[in-house]
Amino acid sequence: MATKQEHAALSDEKLVRLAQRGDMLAFEELVARHRDKIYARAFSMVRNEDDAVDLSQEAWVKAWQRLKQFQGESSFVTWMTRIVINLCLDHLRKAKRHRAESIELMEEESGGVERQMPVVQINPTEGLERGEIRQRIDKALGQLSYEHRTVLILHEFEQLEYKEIAKRMQCSIGTVMSRLFYARRRMANLLASFKREELS
Amino acid sequence: MSTELELKLQAFLDGELSGREAREVTAAIEADTEARKLFAELKTTASALRDNEPQLTVPESREFYWSKIERAIERSEPEPVAPMLSFWIGLRRIMVPAAGVALVLFLGIASLRMNSTDPLGHLAEVENLSEHMSSFSFRSQSHNMFVVWLHENADHQAAGESEAADLEDEIIQ
Repeated sequence: MATKQEHAALSDEKLVRLAQRGDMLAFEELVARHRDKIYARAFSMVRNEDDAVDLSQEAWVKAWQRLKQFQGESSFVTWMTRIVINLCLDHLRKAKRHRAESIELMEEESGGVERQMPVVQINPTEGLERGEIRQRIDKALGQLSYEHRTVLILHEFEQLEYKEIAKRMQCSIGTVMSRLFYARRRMANLLASFKREELS
Repeated sequence: MSTELELKLQAFLDGELSGREAREVTAAIEADTEARKLFAELKTTASALRDNEPQLTVPESREFYWSKIERAIERSEPEPVAPMLSFWIGLRRIMVPAAGVALVLFLGIASLRMNSTDPLGHLAEVENLSEHMSSFSFRSQSHNMFVVWLHENADHQAAGESEAADLEDEIIQ
């Protein structure tokens, strides 16, 4: 049995093969390597630190249980990310059933609000440090409803096609397109407003 | 600008349009200033997001984070069934149907003896050796017929289920 140090030198593919044969140390190394990314994806979707920690850990447990099904068609981290996204979507669906919809969300869903937003003609992230841009994007994401945030994350960060997003979010492609359109327009306006605040 | 064109501008940006539709949208962008401005905004936003995904770190130490995962994995994995217990469970699965088969064979032989030319054949007894089943018999001398009803004991069936549940509980514990 290899030691922790020896595992740290192995590639993801090697670690996955060892973990598939029951090597828990190899799996621990995979967790240590990718835990931040998996946690970040959960947090970007649920916007709550405790829930994000719990969901990311649940995703790792599920991954261990299904590890034999992983055939290496995508990278291990992509496979893991899909597991945590599915768990977050389930979590958000359950949470949605227990809360009343806000008036803002109802307006968003009815459509047309994005048409009242002015077109942003400047680049709201120009001249900013990367860290600052990321912070502003994170802040703006936090101001979107979960439907709009999720569609944006799945499209821009996970680079999924409309069809795939519709399947995961259990809605039509038309709904995906209108949600994505609204989310992008709102993001542009939020980033522009942060820029204006900075200049004033 | 129509909602349809707005969504087509976005679909064009995302590479989700067919060749013909893409050509139509390109023409619309060239001809319509508003379409051009909106397309530029969508493109800038998409590009800003793609290159700048927020980076976060788990707010727990590596050891603590892993220990919770490890415990959850251990809890979720079923404990192996004890060899002796699995032997008795296996034996039960074989013995119950075997008792049924034995009873049917016995009744079959008894029935053959009834139909034989042996003058004392009608005195053959039907004995139920299975505790899992009950039997009722009916003999008609005039029709030269002998009928046997078999049915599983309800009490035994319920007891068996409860026993099986107890066994499962023991295995889980």
